[in-house]
Amino acid sequence: MTFLRQIWPALMLVSAFLGGWEAYVTVTGASPLILPAPSDVLNGLRVERDEIARHAAATVGVAAVGFSLSVAVAALMSVALHFAGWLRRGMMPLLVASQTVPIVALAPLMVLWFGFGLLPKVLLVILVTFFPMVVSLMAGYAALPRAYRDQLVSMGAGRWTVFRRATLPSARGHFFAGLRISATYAIVATIFAEYAGARRGLGIYILTAKNNFRADLVLSAVVVSALLTLTLLALIQAADRLTGRRYRRAADA
Amino acid sequence: MLELSGLTIRAGDTALVENLSLDLATGRLTCLIGPSGCGKSSVVKWLSGVLAPELSAEGRVRMDGVTLTLPHPAIAYQPQQDTLFPWLTIEENAALGLEIRGAARAAARGRVRALFPAFGLQGHYHSFPDQLSGGMRQRAAFLRTMVQNAPVLLLDEPFSALDAVTRLRMQDWLTARLAADPRAVLMVTHDLFEATQIADRVLVMGRRPGRIVADMAIPTPRNDRTEASLAETRSMLRSLLLEDTP
Repeated sequence: MTFLRQIWPALMLVSAFLGGWEAYVTVTGASPLILPAPSDVLNGLRVERDEIARHAAATVGVAAVGFSLSVAVAALMSVALHFAGWLRRGMMPLLVASQTVPIVALAPLMVLWFGFGLLPKVLLVILVTFFPMVVSLMAGYAALPRAYRDQLVSMGAGRWTVFRRATLPSARGHFFAGLRISATYAIVATIFAEYAGARRGLGIYILTAKNNFRADLVLSAVVVSALLTLTLLALIQAADRLTGRRYRRAADA
Repeated sequence: MLELSGLTIRAGDTALVENLSLDLATGRLTCLIGPSGCGKSSVVKWLSGVLAPELSAEGRVRMDGVTLTLPHPAIAYQPQQDTLFPWLTIEENAALGLEIRGAARAAARGRVRALFPAFGLQGHYHSFPDQLSGGMRQRAAFLRTMVQNAPVLLLDEPFSALDAVTRLRMQDWLTARLAADPRAVLMVTHDLFEATQIADRVLVMGRRPGRIVADMAIPTPRNDRTEASLAETRSMLRSLLLEDTP
């Protein structure tokens, strides 16, 4: 019941939006080449389900590898930056600069350099998703209350012990916040990488559908991409809930 | 016997504490009292090895004639802010100091558990700090400090966050606990009533640069202390504190 109460505003808005769209297409008789109705998109999804599923599986594979590596890279990098002040001062401007590179420009170059395999796509996913996690983790490390550190140091703890015993656990909330932001980019970034060059994947499916003037199928793939992102977010939410009972106390207290 | 001598703490060129010396004897509770900003917390932090990095300090600490490097296992520190980690149970929190000093987890937890009744925490091994009352949290913090078996305890305003009644109860509880398990205690407070109620000796720190301006023993046994018997001491302390405040 609480779940229903939570989502009914979203359901109402989405229904109103789709209903309006459907009615508009019916009333104006817009060409399905330009603006397919939601029912056309749904129909495309039904007819093409095997093909879309095959491409979606490829996208999920790339996104899973890329995003997992991205989390690992972000975690390791944040630890390195936390412990080495000179590295932090040197790297932060570079990391910020890395986020200003237009992916549109970089994606085709990556394909040019690394071919049509897994590598260029994984690199793009990492590039797009690691930054919010690094920034969140760094903010989490910096938010350690001074008194916690003092307490441990007075007990004889070194830097690494302070980090392991207090800094890391207290940064958990920040980490999950960054993870959620990054996760919303993971699928989109993969699709973009595939768009620039791939044999299989939702990106290449969308490209092909667009070239065939199948706007309905483009949108069908978009729906699948949105569902994949929502699933990823739900998984992260579940991981947070299952592992973090004791850590949520910090936020509630 | 812990002796601190010639402690000067500076922020840049400004001396916050100048040439301060004090000594602490086992079985005695010494209160360090003074106006806010006089540097009493800094003295305790320095002794604990956690002086803020922007401050510089020089001074010497000796225990029974041997010079100590800080932080030292013989000195246990309890910060002003309640630092029980919210993600650890009371048992895990209390064992933290022992584990960091290298005790095996099971041994540390065993030692901690044995002390739960004496600290009024029985049955709360697996509670989290946010499930306890203010007084219980404070006793858990004391447990974490005292189980380390350091002969010297540094307590930075341990009761300042408690309500008035809990504070009185905790003062009685602490003095009883220290009678059963004597240590050399230096307790920072800004409350002269608290200081005269529980201390064996009161050190008054003057305004910047901080130094000891008075050293008063309170010879009356704790149980015989009454408002009347403490009145004179309190009025002297009060005038010392006010006199020093511009």
